[in-house]
Amino acid sequence: MGLMKRKSLEGPSEESSPPSKQQRENDLIITDESVACVHDVSYPEGYVPCSNLSLAQEDSKPAKEFPFKLDPFQSEAINCLDSGESVMVSAHTSAGKTVVALYAIAMSLRNKQRVIYTSPIKALSNQKYREFKEEFSDVGLMTGDVTIDPNASCLVMTTEIWRSMQYKGSEITREVAWVIFDEVHYMRDRERGVVWEESIVMAPKNSRFVFLSATVPNAKEFADWVAKVHQQPCHIVYTDYRPTPLQHYVFPSGGDGLYLVVDENGKFREDSFQKALNALVPSNEGDRKRENGKWKKNLAVGKAGEESDIFKMVKMIIQRQYDPVILFSFSKRECETLAMQMAKMDLNVDDEKVTIETIFWSAMDMLSDDDKKLPQASVVSNMLPLLKRGIGVHHSGLLPILKEVIEILFQEGLIKCLFATETFSIGLNMPAKTVVFTNVRKFDGDKFRWISSGEYIQMSGRAGRRGIDDRGICILMVDEKLEPSTAKMMLKGSADSLNSAFHLSYNMLLNQMRCEDGDPENLLRNSFYQFQADRAIPDLEKQRKDLEKERDSIVIEEEDSLENYYSLLEQYKSLKKDVRDIVFAPRYCLPFLQPGRLVSIQCTKSDETSSSFSIENQVTWGVIINFERVKGRSEDDANRKPEDANYTVDVLTKCAVDSLSSVRLMIPKDLLPLEARENTLKKVSEVLSRFAKEGMPLLDPEEDMKVQSSSYRKAVRRIEALENLFEKHEIAKSPLIEQKLKVLHMKKELTAKIKLIKRTIRSSTALAFKDELKARKRVLRRLGYVTSDDVVELKGKVACEISSADELTLTELMFNGVFKDIKVEEMVSLLSCFVWQEKLQDAQKPRDELEFLFTQLQDTARRVAKVQLESKVQIDVENFVSSFRSDIMEAVYAWAKGSEILRDYGNHSSLRGQLDQGYQETGRSSSAANTSSKIHWRN
Amino acid sequence: MRGLQLSLNQTQKIRLQKALETLEYLSSKANSNASVTVADTIPVNYEDGVLKGHGTAENDGEVVATLCGVVERVNKLIYVRTLRARYKPEIGDIIVGRVIEVAPKRWRLEINFSQDAVLMLSSMNLPDGIQRRRTAVDELNMRSIFEENDVICAEVRGFQHDGSLHLQARSEKYGKIERGQLLTVAPYLVKRRKQHFHHLEQYGIDLILGCNGFIWVGEHVEAKDDMIEDRASKSEQQNAKSSKYSMSLEEQEKTYTPLETRQNICRTANAVRVLSSLGFSITVEVIIETVELSISLNLDIHEMLGAEFCVLVAEGEAERRRRLMKKKG
Repeated sequence: MGLMKRKSLEGPSEESSPPSKQQRENDLIITDESVACVHDVSYPEGYVPCSNLSLAQEDSKPAKEFPFKLDPFQSEAINCLDSGESVMVSAHTSAGKTVVALYAIAMSLRNKQRVIYTSPIKALSNQKYREFKEEFSDVGLMTGDVTIDPNASCLVMTTEIWRSMQYKGSEITREVAWVIFDEVHYMRDRERGVVWEESIVMAPKNSRFVFLSATVPNAKEFADWVAKVHQQPCHIVYTDYRPTPLQHYVFPSGGDGLYLVVDENGKFREDSFQKALNALVPSNEGDRKRENGKWKKNLAVGKAGEESDIFKMVKMIIQRQYDPVILFSFSKRECETLAMQMAKMDLNVDDEKVTIETIFWSAMDMLSDDDKKLPQASVVSNMLPLLKRGIGVHHSGLLPILKEVIEILFQEGLIKCLFATETFSIGLNMPAKTVVFTNVRKFDGDKFRWISSGEYIQMSGRAGRRGIDDRGICILMVDEKLEPSTAKMMLKGSADSLNSAFHLSYNMLLNQMRCEDGDPENLLRNSFYQFQADRAIPDLEKQRKDLEKERDSIVIEEEDSLENYYSLLEQYKSLKKDVRDIVFAPRYCLPFLQPGRLVSIQCTKSDETSSSFSIENQVTWGVIINFERVKGRSEDDANRKPEDANYTVDVLTKCAVDSLSSVRLMIPKDLLPLEARENTLKKVSEVLSRFAKEGMPLLDPEEDMKVQSSSYRKAVRRIEALENLFEKHEIAKSPLIEQKLKVLHMKKELTAKIKLIKRTIRSSTALAFKDELKARKRVLRRLGYVTSDDVVELKGKVACEISSADELTLTELMFNGVFKDIKVEEMVSLLSCFVWQEKLQDAQKPRDELEFLFTQLQDTARRVAKVQLESKVQIDVENFVSSFRSDIMEAVYAWAKGSEILRDYGNHSSLRGQLDQGYQETGRSSSAANTSSKIHWRN
Repeated sequence: MRGLQLSLNQTQKIRLQKALETLEYLSSKANSNASVTVADTIPVNYEDGVLKGHGTAENDGEVVATLCGVVERVNKLIYVRTLRARYKPEIGDIIVGRVIEVAPKRWRLEINFSQDAVLMLSSMNLPDGIQRRRTAVDELNMRSIFEENDVICAEVRGFQHDGSLHLQARSEKYGKIERGQLLTVAPYLVKRRKQHFHHLEQYGIDLILGCNGFIWVGEHVEAKDDMIEDRASKSEQQNAKSSKYSMSLEEQEKTYTPLETRQNICRTANAVRVLSSLGFSITVEVIIETVELSISLNLDIHEMLGAEFCVLVAEGEAERRRRLMKKKG
């Protein structure tokens, strides 16, 4: 890239001295190996560092002094801030990145500048607000739910709010000198990540940034991007340092001991890892042999009469005084069931119990009377006794108030053992001494997978409290045979790199198009996605060159005629396949697939390419033993008998029946006994030897099987013609034909690969998302949101205001008059469909009026999706339509009516929290709908 | 022909009449029954459930227009777009306005709307491009940014909760505009486009078509990319400004506009005048065409406002539209 780069990896051995003129950026002195950090700067192209700025600052006092000695990475980052330049700090969660943020805030306040702190999560924003408020007092908070003191100099907000502020041209954007993006690695989030890119690209030109992120290997790349987009230097301070070192243990399920796998110096201990795996109770021990996804039941239930693994584990932790402990699992339900098993355990003494009860009830007093009355049996009655014993549960399905209580109790050390989901690992600073992974696999929407090293790092980062524990402990419960390499990857792997998750949305396009100089293409050009794609080009070029060289090095004599032959072969093969497809269409071949028929079987091996260059196919003969329909499909599930094996093979998918013979054998009904099988095998070989000379009599497709189709006849004729050609072909007689063909085939494959790479290069040199942008603009034009020369029309202006729901569908609904005559409750209930994503098992079917509205919604959605499809946006119409869920319509309706929803819905208590969230979301989108409707009524 | 006070001779009158008739004929073909006057019934199909928008009312079960204009339909929404009305700001409009008052932390601007617009001090980028909170000193120095009677170009930011209209200046290209002419045309003649800033390179002038009907024609100014680098010179400038009469020679040199550019400005301004008096919608293409026509006819600038040129422009427009219709079939 055209960026000027200088790298200075400081260490005692580093000798390369940079130009003395620019010494300032490079003087980093590391005193202690273990706390070393890397400092690096990205300069935009043609940037001339001006040194007088820093000189002016030299004599002034630091904006804030800390009562403790700063770690090298902290003081390094603060130096960058002092010189007024952007910085990206990449360090572990507990390393103390907040110090940098605090300094930036203090500095801005001193300079009478505004500073904005954004974080991905509301809870984190709230926590930081309280923290900053204590420290600086001139602090405001803006989240989707609350706004406190929006005129304060330091504003804490969620990133989404910051983005919409920039679109609206809020005056804050002209006053903000520093923007702090906490947890910026959220940028790789599939859904929300794009918000970070938008807000970074659109940020005011003259502001400076502080990026705080977990450890990412490509921090440099990110900084380069920022430097390029904003034409300002951006420093990177990276450190691997953990204030409390971690020890990683493995707990094999069924076993009863911990095995130290990675010690506090980061060394992987192969031998003890092997020991741990050997200690795994063999998995085929009766009840363990189950589907992979169900294994956790075992963990929960345990063997009858025995304590479950998790119980043993917690007991051990308590005995060894490794508490407090956080136990991560990957589903809300699992979290709760695991906690329930701890019911027998008591971790608190009496006076702690009293404290817990006081805290709990004083919090619960905040709830309305209605709420308290409700039979939230499992929440109030089950939770409190659990809490009193020092056991807690924390996941997103809980009531917010309950979550908060649990957080407080945990911070106070009153909860010794907390079962939490992954959400607990992000942001909020609540470390424990020990972290346990109850599972090493996670369901990510469509399949189970190993947790990635990045996730592992994030979650294990919760282990070890700074200043309290001298080391953090991390325990991995392993139940399946885990390859040492996989485990190593997980435990020792590098953090996930920061990749762009950029995608387009209509709201984004409309907002960009509405501005005079806004241009969606501009945003795309400046996106991190584009930046990363641009970077990949040189690499791809190199690959292409290598492949081309390889291809050119393959020289074949008589290439032309060989090629000719090759293409003939290809044709021949495809024709053969056509014929087979016709003949073996279930219509024709089903009547002949009786038990006893001899069939020839083509073994499709994985190394097919090597053997498929002759006209003769390698086939074996077998006999159909059984044939039945499978699950209503007319696929033949023929249990056949390959002659080189002594038992039936029931895997058909890898082989394909090649042809049917007209011979049918009598076979015994019961093939299970070995004798019968051997008998049958003998019979088969007998038949084969009998027909060895004249070849097996085959069923003639036309006469015997009554295949009557013109395409079949045509194909057969062409095959004959081709066979003739083969014979005439001179090259066919060449002795090395096989090898030559193989070489040719290789060459062809290389060419194909080169083509593929070329296409990738072309698509990345072109603007990423260009086609999609075009298609989406087409949609907007067709639906009348913008005119043909990109002027945003009435509908477009409405859609601009809708950011938390599907903007097109909602706008269409509005303009179709769906909202015109309906009551507020119905409206709110309808809007709930836009925000509710999950499936409820016991969802009530909405009443007729609501059902009617929902059908209208579905119709509109279908129409919108169809227009998108016609405009070549990649979309699955039915999927899109069913993404609107009616599951909570009825509940929301009741809520909006103000009836005691809780009596009706309190019984599925765990849902309450989710419902609450749903309501808030609904509220937000209805206020958006409100603003947008204002637009058109003013008209 | 409204507002057109020209002394036409007989032939010119007939020619103009004919051209305007052609135009009327052509436009009536395009949207024949969409225009309504007050109390006209707007045909709708009630079963679909319509949304009655601006300029409509229900009377005896029928939707009736309460304004003269063109009926617009957006899905189920029906509203009447008036043909001639006062400017109504929409978010994102580019407008040109004149400062009428410097108030605490804000300027008040006349923008041809029923109320004055407000441009907050904090909605302006500071002259030195620094990002910071505005201080009392900044407030005292507001006149060094804009004074009364300055012409300003800005973007409509939106209505605040108290109903006042707020403007903003998103980037460097907004702000004070100098050395040119401000023309006022009927706001409905300016259509919303993607671009409202135009740089006519061949003439060395800037053209800003404000959505509010204020049109600026002025000498081209290079948008300054980096304000920081000439911060020093800027402050000097401000000092110089405070003592208005002692304008240095250099300063005069800087503000000098070459004669040719001035002529171009006048020519373009006259083109806009002719177009607006004929009631043609004003786009940059039509303006350029008109200017070129006047140059090709070797007309002096002042002659552009004469009867003959006016008729020629009308005829030219009629011809252009006829060709356009033919092309469409």
